[in-house]
Amino acid sequence: MAGRPVVGVCLKWVDLRPDVDRLTGAVHRDERFHGASEADQAALEWALRMAEAWDGEVVAVSAGPPAAEALLRDCLATGVHRAVRVDLAPGAPSETVASVLADVLRDAAVVCCGDWSLDRGSGAVPAFLAGELGAAQALGLVRLEVGQPGSLVVTRRLDFGRRERLGVRTPAVLSVEGASATLRRASLAAVLAARDAVVEVAGGRPAAQHRLRPVHVRPYRPRPQARPGPDPALDPRLRLLQLTGAAVERTPPRTVVTDDADEAAELLLEQLRAWGYLT
Amino acid sequence: MSAYAGGMERWSRVSFEDRMATVDFRVGTRAHITVDGDTCRGCTTKACVTACPANLFVPTSDGGIVFNYEQCFECGTCYLVCSNEGAITWTYPDGGDGVVFHRS
Amino acid sequence: MPEATTPTVAPSRPSLATAGRPRDAVVDAPATPDFDLVVVGAGPAGAAAALVAARAGLRVCLLERGPFPGAKNMYGGVIYARILDDLIPNWWDEAPVQRWVTRRATVVLTESQALTIDFRSSAWGEPPYNGATAFRPDFDAWLAGKAEAAGATVVTSTTATGLLRDGAGHICGVRTDRPDGDLTARLVVACDGVNSFLAKQAGLYHHEDPKHFTLGAKEVLALPRDEVEKRFVLSGREGADFEIIGGTRGIPGGGFIYTNLDSIAIGVVLGLDGLRKAKVRPEELIADLKRHPMIAPLVDGAQLQEYSAHLIPEAGLEMMPELSTDGMLVAGDAAAMCLAAGIWLEGVNFAIGSGIAAGETAVEAVRRGDVSDHGLAGYRRRLESNFVLRDHTKLRRAPSLVMSERVQQRYPQLTCDLVEALFTVTNPEPKQGAFRAARHHAKRSGVRLRDLARDGWTALRTYG
Repeated sequence: MAGRPVVGVCLKWVDLRPDVDRLTGAVHRDERFHGASEADQAALEWALRMAEAWDGEVVAVSAGPPAAEALLRDCLATGVHRAVRVDLAPGAPSETVASVLADVLRDAAVVCCGDWSLDRGSGAVPAFLAGELGAAQALGLVRLEVGQPGSLVVTRRLDFGRRERLGVRTPAVLSVEGASATLRRASLAAVLAARDAVVEVAGGRPAAQHRLRPVHVRPYRPRPQARPGPDPALDPRLRLLQLTGAAVERTPPRTVVTDDADEAAELLLEQLRAWGYLT
Repeated sequence: MSAYAGGMERWSRVSFEDRMATVDFRVGTRAHITVDGDTCRGCTTKACVTACPANLFVPTSDGGIVFNYEQCFECGTCYLVCSNEGAITWTYPDGGDGVVFHRS
Repeated sequence: MPEATTPTVAPSRPSLATAGRPRDAVVDAPATPDFDLVVVGAGPAGAAAALVAARAGLRVCLLERGPFPGAKNMYGGVIYARILDDLIPNWWDEAPVQRWVTRRATVVLTESQALTIDFRSSAWGEPPYNGATAFRPDFDAWLAGKAEAAGATVVTSTTATGLLRDGAGHICGVRTDRPDGDLTARLVVACDGVNSFLAKQAGLYHHEDPKHFTLGAKEVLALPRDEVEKRFVLSGREGADFEIIGGTRGIPGGGFIYTNLDSIAIGVVLGLDGLRKAKVRPEELIADLKRHPMIAPLVDGAQLQEYSAHLIPEAGLEMMPELSTDGMLVAGDAAAMCLAAGIWLEGVNFAIGSGIAAGETAVEAVRRGDVSDHGLAGYRRRLESNFVLRDHTKLRRAPSLVMSERVQQRYPQLTCDLVEALFTVTNPEPKQGAFRAARHHAKRSGVRLRDLARDGWTALRTYG
């Protein structure tokens, strides 16, 4: 153990497609449809790559119910060295989740997380985790360059399409976007072996005094968008035309079919130039 | 009549996009359908366009076919109705990818 | 570990789309294969085969390409699980069932008419029950869970991409899409569904004719439980099953309506050949059905919850592949075991029945150490001695009769017109009399008495 850097990865057992009753808004969750989000899968892939480059070992942690062990077995099949489930009821606040995850990951040089969980998470767990571990944090990453042990250069997404490259020194907590990496497929032998592998279970410790406490959480509501309406002075027909844009002249869409990727790219660029997006 | 006896025609207004949005698809990176464009340009029937229950095959103005594989039910109708040998190549998606039914 | 992917000579078959499909891989069969039995596909056939074999002590691997068993499966229907009585006593206490069918209606539809034969039985609502509506992702997962509990190794999210053959050409496993994905076994049971690439690859399937297949397309519509019960006149866990003849714009096929606990399933079944020629989209035909004056009140206001589609092997015995070869058995839809015989529409029970037979044959063959085609002869014998092949043999003429133009178009119109004439009071004209009315309408609908008599005779021979 000593000397080999530990790379942690945190994954959340989450319903990938919960069933929402359209009339009552009640959410029905089913364990068969649970799994790891794309962002969590990408985090796992990065953790595996880092451990390979640094000759380290990967510890996968999930805070959740016993059914989450299925997810951790999938992690073991992809090459994770140790899998730990922290017994925690769903719906715990981010700070609690981070503190129980931190208990398992004290020795980790780097901890990888998805950028935010699928069940309308806020993406706060990685930040809380960095606070708990006293580690650097680099969140919302689109790219990682894994260098010598302990050295990382990462690319972070900023507003308005800008990017920022950061040199990160360990210990660090990273959160990555789903599209940043595709999780490798586990080999058949590893899948079979992982069926009997041990998933450690750590009991969640009693909640400490939290510095932050959610007072009231409102359910998600899409906000109405204010759009300028048609001039009320106009007659109904003209208002309808304005609303639907039916009489507005527009350029018909251009359909091009080509099997050649280079040609397709060139045509796209040409069109973007024609529209003025590229100069 | 009950609260559910609303306008008789309400259901028919589900758009095709909304219809497909009721289905859980886990989209893989590999296209499990491929279509030979040259064969399709010479095809006069283009049965796949109407028969595919997921409406994945769309004729183009130059007589070809563009296709999607992402929202496929994996039923196999397309290659069975296709009248041109080998125009549609169809395999199952990679394990774990593709449609996941909840209430079928 | 095998590496060579030398293609062997592919058996010649009139296949439409084989390019790009995987070929057999030739490997050195290990002395001790990974498993005694690999079952491909964790649907009802595969789960039943795995359950039987695992209980008998075989080392069984049940492969499933979906993330869980049942994820890829869809049907238009009812599960008649009597066949499970011996395998899982009191299965009805634990099987994830939506409703028990106590109301079975056969509906003949024309554009503006409907003639319904509506049967109800309270006996079907009590143990041991008859038919049940269920969601396949629930039911299949439950049955595969039974196999797993019996000791089978269930591997999900893994697609079998081809067959492994030893030097002698015997099938000795499957190749999967995972890295290092070869899985060796003494025997393979292909339960990989209606498209069965494994049966085709093994050269057992000689047909890929659209005439043999129908497309089922279905909508599940959400409706509160009390509303379902009110509209279909049900109580408790009682359920209704409506099978519809006609109403598909002349495309050979039909329709169905089933009740779930708090939703209803409505859909169409369409002959692929007819669908190809008609140039109509499947969901438009479902919309037609929902607009029909007899059906519209049943589905009014119900919200679309899930849309789905699947192929059905419709032609029964006519399309059935060879059921075994050296090292492999075929069961369920992969062997076209689905029974589509007009008044009887069954599939899951035939899948389970053939799966049980495959499992028993596998146990016998592995214990005897003879998994050659000859050693697997017990499979066909078992199927011939129980309902699976006996029903198919008896009803071999049914699919073509049911899908014929007369049964699909002329008879529904004739029957509905006749009943309408009988019950329309035409005062002051006196009543016409049933026989005269029948002759008049038969003539008008272009049905020749000779054809009617012949079809009647065929039906009598088939269903009698």
